Amino acid sequence: MTECARPLAELRAHDEDRFGGKSTSLGELIAGGIPVPPGFAVSTAAFEAFLATGSVGERVEDALAGIDPDDVAAVAAASAAVTLEMRRTPVPDAVAAEVGRHYAALAATSSKRQPPVAVRSSARGEDSAEATFAGQQETYLWVRGTDGVCEAIRGCWISLYSAEAISYRARMAAGGGPPAMGVAVQLMVDAEVSGVMFTCSPLTGDPSVVAINASWGLGLGVVGGEVTPDDFLISKVSHEILRRTIADKQVEYVPDPGGRGTHRVAVEEPRRTAACLDEEGLRALVQTARAVERHFGSRQDIEWAIARTGSLPENLFVLQSRPVTATARAGSEAVADRTGLDAMSLVLGTFGVKPRRD
Amino acid sequence: MSTTPASTFPSPLSIATPEGCEGWEEMYPYYALLGEDRREADEQRLWFWNSMHFPEPMSAFDVVAIDGPYYALANWQNRVFAIPPAMGIDYRIVNGYVFITPNAVTDPNLIAERAAYFGERAGYYFANWDELYGRWREKMRKLIAEITALEVPQLRTYEEDAVAFEDRDTSFVRVLDSYNRALRMHEQMWQHHFEFLLLGYGAYLTFSDFCKSALPEIPDQHIAQMVSGIDVLLFRPDTELRHLARLAREAGVDASFADGRSPEAIIAELGQSEAGRGWLESLEAVKDPWFNMGSGDGFYHHHRSWLDDPSIPFSAIRGHIDALVEGRDTERPTEHLAAERNRLAHEYGALLDEQARGTFNELLGLSRTVFPYVEEHKFFCEYWFQSRFFNKVREFGALLATHGFLHDGEDVFQLSRHEVGEALEELVLSWAHGGPPRGPHHWPPIVERRRRLLERLKQWTPPPAMGTMPTEAINDPISVMLWGITPERLHSWASAMSGDSLTLTGAAASPGVAEGPARVVRDVHEITDVQPGEILVSTVTSPAWAPIFPKIRGAVTDIGGIMSHAAIVCREYGLPAVVGTGRATAEIRTGQRLRVDGTNGVVTLLDDEEPA
Repeated sequence: MTECARPLAELRAHDEDRFGGKSTSLGELIAGGIPVPPGFAVSTAAFEAFLATGSVGERVEDALAGIDPDDVAAVAAASAAVTLEMRRTPVPDAVAAEVGRHYAALAATSSKRQPPVAVRSSARGEDSAEATFAGQQETYLWVRGTDGVCEAIRGCWISLYSAEAISYRARMAAGGGPPAMGVAVQLMVDAEVSGVMFTCSPLTGDPSVVAINASWGLGLGVVGGEVTPDDFLISKVSHEILRRTIADKQVEYVPDPGGRGTHRVAVEEPRRTAACLDEEGLRALVQTARAVERHFGSRQDIEWAIARTGSLPENLFVLQSRPVTATARAGSEAVADRTGLDAMSLVLGTFGVKPRRD
Repeated sequence: MSTTPASTFPSPLSIATPEGCEGWEEMYPYYALLGEDRREADEQRLWFWNSMHFPEPMSAFDVVAIDGPYYALANWQNRVFAIPPAMGIDYRIVNGYVFITPNAVTDPNLIAERAAYFGERAGYYFANWDELYGRWREKMRKLIAEITALEVPQLRTYEEDAVAFEDRDTSFVRVLDSYNRALRMHEQMWQHHFEFLLLGYGAYLTFSDFCKSALPEIPDQHIAQMVSGIDVLLFRPDTELRHLARLAREAGVDASFADGRSPEAIIAELGQSEAGRGWLESLEAVKDPWFNMGSGDGFYHHHRSWLDDPSIPFSAIRGHIDALVEGRDTERPTEHLAAERNRLAHEYGALLDEQARGTFNELLGLSRTVFPYVEEHKFFCEYWFQSRFFNKVREFGALLATHGFLHDGEDVFQLSRHEVGEALEELVLSWAHGGPPRGPHHWPPIVERRRRLLERLKQWTPPPAMGTMPTEAINDPISVMLWGITPERLHSWASAMSGDSLTLTGAAASPGVAEGPARVVRDVHEITDVQPGEILVSTVTSPAWAPIFPKIRGAVTDIGGIMSHAAIVCREYGLPAVVGTGRATAEIRTGQRLRVDGTNGVVTLLDDEEPA
C-alpha cells in the first residue's frame, strides 16, 4: 500500500503534497540542525485510506452534497452527521500498524514506554488563516499509547468537517473532492515556558528584531490567546532588549495529573507577575530564531518551548515554524519613497526640499 | 504623531518677576525683552527655554553669547543656505533666561524659491566637504591665534616713543580699536561655528531618518554608534589626562596627587624631584592645545578652560590614578568601539535589500564625512576660542579696574558689551584730558545691583515653554536637529507641567537601567560636588564634564536629543541616560533616589521624601 507514515527527520519541502506543510517544515528544521522534538508524520494517503474504509467517504460526500454554505442549521447538521460517522469508523488496521511501529520507534528514543506526544494537523499550503477555516489546525497534547495517537489522528481528520470548515470549503471550492491533510506526531516537550516568536517586528516588519511572546507552561495559552504573554523585542544586531513588557499571566497549561491530556491551572504569585524568560533564555531564543530564519531564507513565525528538565540551550525546542506572510510593513512605503534617490536628494529632503524623480 | 489637542503654556507676558528681581530688564538689550508692542505676535508663538545652551540667567556681558550665535545661525540658515522651510531663531529674555522660537517659512512659492538656492549652495558644501572643512580648521586656528595675540594697551602717563617718533597709533585709538576687534573676532567665530553645523546635522539626521524608516525598531544609539568617530578630537583632552595619570604612576609620583591637594601644591611638590619635573614637562607638552578644553559650553564668561582652572583636569587625573591603582583599565576602548561601529553598520546593512542597502551605505558614508565637524567644532569654537575671548575681555576689565571704573576686573561681565565700550570711551577720554571721570562712581553700584539680581534669578526655575502650542506639527528641521523639539516632546512637557507625576520621560539616549541618589547640577561649578554612584541630573552636560562620568551611574538632562553630548558620553561609558526630560532639574532634588531607564527613556522618582 501507499506510505502511511515517515520519520520527520526524513521529510523535505518537496514532500509537502503527501505530508502537509507542518510536517515537512519540521523535517526541514531538523535538516537545518534546529532542535525539534523527534517524531513522525502521517501522510495524506492515510486519510484517504480512512475514507476508503467501508463507505465512510461516500456517506460523507452524500451528507455534504449540494450544501448551502449560508444555511447555518444545515451546515451544523451535516457536520454533526459526518463527525458521528467518522467517530464510528476505526482507523484502518494498516494505518494503525504503521503508526504503532513509528510510535514504538519513538518510544525507544525516549526513556518512557508510552511517551506523551503532541498530535497536530499538517495542512497543505501555508496560509494559516485559510488553514484555520479549513479545519487544519487541530492540536492534541499529551497523548499516550498507539490507540491514543490513532484517536488523536482521527480527531485531526474530523476537524476538517467542523461547521466552519464545511462552510468555508463550500464557499471556496467548486467541488474538488475530499480535502487532504497530513498529521505530525512529536514527543511532547514538558514546557516550563513556551510561546511564539517572529524574526521581524510583527507591527512594522523591521527585520532587525526578534519579537518574543512567552508565558508559563505549554504553548496553548499563548497560541490560543488565553493569556497575555510577556512581550519582548530584542535586537538581532546587539541582542539588547529593546522593549520588555511583563504581563500578569493568570493561567497556564500543564500535563494532566492523570498522565493524559492537559490541564488549565491558575498561576500562583510571584510567578504570575515575574518575567518568564531571563537574559539567557532570550539569548538562546534569538540565536534559534536567527538560525531558523537563515535556514529558510525568509521571515519566520516560530512556536517554541523550553523544557522543565535540562539546561539552555539544549532544552529549547522549536515546535513549528512557518513563513511570516501577513506582516504589516509600516515603514515600507517610507523606504520606497527614499530608495532610488541619491543621498544628496535625501539630505535636501531633510531640509524641506521635495525630491524630484526624473 | 500625537494628535492631543493643543495644550497651552503660560503667556510669555504673564510670567511674573520673582520677588526681589525687579528691574532685571536693565541688564539686557531692548530687543530681547517682551513688550506690549509685540504682545500679539509673541503670545501666538511657542517659545521654549533653551536650557541646553543657557541653563543659567545671563549676565549683561554674556548676551554676546546669545547674539553671536543667533546672528550667525540665522544668517547662514536664512540668508546663505536659504533653508527652505525655516528662517532663523528669534529669542527673548525672561527673568534672565533665554527663550527661543523658530521663524518658519510657509508660503510654498517662497519655499520653492529658497530650495533653488539651497540645493546649489548646500550641494557645493557637501561635494567639497573635506576641502572646505580643512580650510575651516585653518581659519579657526588663525582666529584663535589672533584673539590670543590681541593687545590690550596700558594707559601710561606718557605715550611710548613709538607714538611720537614712529607714527604708532595713540592709546585711545588702540584701546577702542582693540575692544572692537575683540568683539568682531567673537562674531567671526560664531560665523565659522555655523558655517557647517546645519549641513552636518542635516546629513546625520537624514541617515537617522532613513534608518528609522527602513528599520523602525532600531535604537537611536545604534544609529549614533554607526556614525560617531573614533579618533575624535573632542575625546583627546581626556585621553591625555588618562595618559598623564599612567605616566605619574610609572614615574612613581602619583602620591603627590593625594586627595584634597590643590593643583598649585601638587605642581610645587613635583618640582622638587627629577621624576616630578619629568612629569611636569610631559604636562607642558600637551597643555597647548588640549588644556584649552572648557569646563562648560563657552556660553558664559565663567566657563573657564583647563588652563585657567586646572582643578578639573587635576581631579580627573587623580580619578584615573585611583582607577589604575585598583587595576581598572582607564583607556578608552577605541579598538572595541571601532570594531563595534563597523559590525553594527555591516549587520544592519545586511538586513536590508540591495537597493535600500545602497542608500544606507551612501548616507552612512556622508554622515561619517560630516561627523568630525559636528563633534570637533565645539573644541575650536566653544572651548578654545571662547576661553581666549573671555580672558581678553578680562584684560579690559583689569584696565577699567586699574583706573577705578570697576572694583574688580571680573566686574566687567556685569556690563553689557555696549556699556563696556562706553566705559572704555570715558576711560580713554578722562585719562587723556586728566579731568575727573564719572565712571568710578557710575559703574560700581550698577555692578553690585546686577550681581544681586543674578543671584536671585538663579533661584527661579523657568517653565520649559511659553506661548501657544502650534496646532500644526512643528516641522522645523533646525529645532528638531539642534534641540530635539518635536510635537511629542512639547506635549510631554505640557502634561508634566499640569501634573505631579513621579516619572519623567525623555529621549532614550543610552541604554540600560541604573538606580542611585540624584545629584542635581545646575551650574558648572557644582560638578565637583558629584559623588561616586550618583545619578547626574543637569539641565545639559557638555563634553567638558567627561572627567566626572567615570564616577556616576547614569545621567538625566532637561534638554537634548540623542546626539546631545550627554548622550554621546554616556554611550561611551556605558551609562544609562535619558535626555530632554524638560524639567528634571526642577522636579528632582539632590539626594532623591532615581531609576534611570535609558532603554525606554523613563526616569522614575523612587522616593518623594526630602533628603536628609
